[in-house]
Parts: sequence; structure tokens; C-alpha cells
Amino acid sequence: MNTVEFTNVSFAYRGDWLQKIRALKQVDLTVPAGCAYGFLGANGAGKSTSIKLLMGLLHGHSGDIRLFGKLIGKVNLRTRLGFLPEQPYFYDNLDVGEYLAYLGRLSGMTPAELPAACDRVYQLLDLGDLRKRQLRSFSKGMRQRFGLAQAIFHKPDLLVLDEPFSGLDPLWRARFKEVMALERQRGATLFFSSHILADVEDLCDHYGVIDHGVVLEQGKLADLMGQAPLALIGSGPAPAEVTAVGDGTWRSVFPEAERAARLAALPAGAQVLRLERQRVALEDYFVNRIRSVHGAGKRLADANEANEERAEA
Amino acid sequence: MSTVTIIAGATFREAVRSRAFLGLLGLFAAGTLASRIVGWVSSTDGNIVTTDLVLSLQSVVGVLVAVATGTALVQTEIQNKTLYTVLSRPVERWQFVVGKFLGLAAGLAAGQGAMLIIGLIYLWATGADVHRWLVLAGLMTTVEVLVMAAVSLCWTALTSPLLAAALGLATYALGHAVAGLPPLLHHLKGAQQVIAGSLASLVPNLGMFTYRNQAAYALPLPWDDLAIRLVYGALWIALLVGITISVIRRKQL
Repeated sequence: MNTVEFTNVSFAYRGDWLQKIRALKQVDLTVPAGCAYGFLGANGAGKSTSIKLLMGLLHGHSGDIRLFGKLIGKVNLRTRLGFLPEQPYFYDNLDVGEYLAYLGRLSGMTPAELPAACDRVYQLLDLGDLRKRQLRSFSKGMRQRFGLAQAIFHKPDLLVLDEPFSGLDPLWRARFKEVMALERQRGATLFFSSHILADVEDLCDHYGVIDHGVVLEQGKLADLMGQAPLALIGSGPAPAEVTAVGDGTWRSVFPEAERAARLAALPAGAQVLRLERQRVALEDYFVNRIRSVHGAGKRLADANEANEERAEA
Repeated sequence: MSTVTIIAGATFREAVRSRAFLGLLGLFAAGTLASRIVGWVSSTDGNIVTTDLVLSLQSVVGVLVAVATGTALVQTEIQNKTLYTVLSRPVERWQFVVGKFLGLAAGLAAGQGAMLIIGLIYLWATGADVHRWLVLAGLMTTVEVLVMAAVSLCWTALTSPLLAAALGLATYALGHAVAGLPPLLHHLKGAQQVIAGSLASLVPNLGMFTYRNQAAYALPLPWDDLAIRLVYGALWIALLVGITISVIRRKQL
């Protein structure tokens, strides 16, 4: 079963006067149960809009949005949700313990369940010493920690995290990944957007790319990585089109589909030292994929060239 | 405990700990002490003047707190996105608005209660006559403050917090101005009278809750008159909170 399903979802914000700004255009999105889904997109691509629609913070969309197989709309479905908004803000005058109890009760927890739940998140996010501190005194990173604590507090089945690593130092980024992995072990589905693609690579098994309100593609991250070319390192007589590495060794790079033909075409006496799959950095893939669709965020040199051509024309 | 009660409880704690709330309570205490000076220099009964001033101060400070906190209640939550973590839970928007208003109302009522107690102790200590009608005047002021909180809440759902505060104070001035309108309406005729009367009914008549001056002279307020005023206040609060809910339900967050 899918935890989240967007079917042909379109949404427009109201602009000035009668103008409408189309933020999502016929989006189809599927987040399978139990997976960790990385939702990628440039600024303004439609990630936060999709998440807000899912959380019921925006309304007036066309198409279907389903949570746990049911159309969103009934607020009771949100009992099973945990949400960390982008750059979260909280009430200044409540302390950590009060705030968690408040949000936990709203999610349907009983007073008896609160102490154990507090202890769990205090331990996971080192908030024990801060439990009596009011949130007005929290730094950005501390707010982010509290934000994740309140999202996982009631052990939700789906964790929706909008840029969860924003404002965190490397140590806390690593801890967040550990906590998210633990939540997944517990059985929760993770759905999060991030600009730090290395983090998505570390955590996710599914991905989706959205750009200008359109989902360009989605699927298993392993399939994407499987599309990476192979690199053959050999010694002795070299076939055509290889790169000399030194010490008589050479390197040939070719797609997976050519594997058998390339190996069969090796000259007599050539020795295969290593055959390995090249690593595709998700960041490179993402940048190339978006640039292939439109020119946003293109390299500075290319942008200057385009500007000059436009000036000449 | 219901969702509304949980939200109201957290809002109450947040409200009574806010610096604006505590600061204005301090201002009331300082103003109460200063009221004695006016009593001394007054040509009439100094104790009556002091009593009237203390009760009026309770109203002014209460309305300022109501406007300041009421206008910050929803719009600031939207701007700061603090409501994201609440509305992403099984909470209907009407529950959010009603819970927030009830929490604020409880905070304002607690503040009014504290000011009334401070004021009565001060009046007793300075030798003024302390009687039950002063408590009733405090109750009427509390209803006025709650109506103003609902006015501010409604304005803030429609516009920015700053403009909502200005419109809230303007509504306060108009609300007291319409109290003096009925005698003037007799000078108008036909359509003019209908139009003026209709426009006046668009703002709550805050004169309905002004019983301070009579209370200072220990003039009684009939119970049926009191009941009408309380129902009038409750209806205005229900109407304004209802408008706020209908606006917030349509709002894109």
C-alpha cells in the first residue's frame, strides 16, 4: 500500500487581482509504505506547496491526494502524521516539556503516555537538560532539534520533514540521520525534502524530482544508481578508446548495456584488473536533470554567453 | 480533554507569561498609585474620583492588552508559522480559533481579576468605600474587554496585525461614540434616521458595559439590566468569533 498518493494534482496561488500563480501542474506522486522518500527540487519548484497540501495547510487543489489510502480532508488521518516545517517557529513562552505535552495531547496521546514519550525524544535529541527552558531562548539549531522532537513525539506512521537539515551543524546532521533511520526501523515512512542531496543519498531508497510544479521523475534510488556506467581497468594490450592510467594500466568507461560486447572485444593478452560501477553523485544527476529541462541555475559562463547572444540579437 | 480546551490551556499560559501582559499589569499598578494624586487635587469627593479613576484605568489597560494580544493571536501565528505544528495535527480550524480565543479570554479575565483585586485593596487602604457594585463594575469591564478581544481577533483575520490594532482602537472609540447616539437620532428623520441607526448597529455599543461611574457612587444595577448587557456582549463575541472562523477556514497558510 502507498502511504502518500498524489493523482493529477494541480494547485494555483492567488496572485495580484485575478492573476493566478500555478504552483503544481498535474502532479502524480507515490510514496510506498515504509520507504524513505527524498523529494528533490530547486527553490520554488513546488516541494513546500506539495507538503502543505498534504498537511491540509493549503486547500483548493484539483485531483486526488490520498494518505494511507484515504482522501485527505478528515482531520483524524493526521493523528498518524508527524510534521517538521521548514525553518520552524514556536511559541516563545512555553517550555520544552509543556510544548511537547501540548502537541502530544493534540495528536491524541493520553496524559499517561506523555512522560515516556518525553524521555524518548529527550534522549534521541539531547533535550533533557533543556526541558524547562522556554523556546524564546533557543538558537536556530536548537529549534530544529525541538522541531524534530515534536514531529516524532507521538510515534507517527508518516514523518513529513521539510528541509530537516537546515541550520544544523555537521554533528547534528549526523544525529538527525540516525534518528530518522531509527524512526524508519520503527516502521515509519519518511517523506522529506532537502537541498543537501548527499543526505538524501544516505537516507533514501526512493526519490522524486519536481521542477516548476511538474514531477519530472520518481522511482527507486537504486535504479537511478544502477544506470551509472561501468569502468573497466585493465593492463596489457589496450582496446580502442581507453584512457591510460599509468604503469601500463588503462581505463575504459561504457554503459551497462555494452558490458558483454566490450569484454568480448578485449585484445588477446589484455588482463582485466577491475570492473566497477562508477558512482553517480545525486547532486550531479539532479543539476543535469533540471538544466536539461530549463535554464534555471545554469552555469555562470553559460548564463553570460546567453545574455551576450540576447544582447547581440 | 477536548481539542479546544487543550489549545485554550496553552494559549492561556502563553498569554499570561507574555511581556506585554505583565508590563500592562505593572502600568495599572503604577496608574492606581498615581490616581490618589488626582483625588487629592479634585474639588469633589476625592475618594469617589479615585474610585472612578481606578475603575477606568482597569478598562483602559484591559482594552490595550486585549487589542495588543488579540491582534497578535492569529495573524502573527500565520506570519511566524507557529500554527503549522498545530494545524498539521487532528485539529479543525474552528477548534483552533475557538481554543485560541477562549485561552486569551481566560488570560484577560485573569488579568482583569488581578487588577480588580489590586484596585479594591488600594481603595480600601486609602479609606474609600468598597462595596459589591465595584465588583459588578469590574465584571462589566471584563465583558467589554472580551468584546474588544473578539473585535481585535476579527480584524486580525482580515488584515495585518498593525492595521488590525489601529482598527481595533478605532472600533473602541466608535463603540463608545454610538452609546451617545440614541438621543441624537431623534433629531434625524426618515431614511437618515434608519441609515444612521443601521450604521451604528455595525459596531458593538460599548456603552452597554460602562457602569463605572454609577458604581463609584454605589448606584445599583438591576439584575435584568445586567442580564441583557451580558447577553448583548456574548452575542457580539459569538458573531465576531464566527466571522473570524469563516475567514480562517478559507485562508491559505
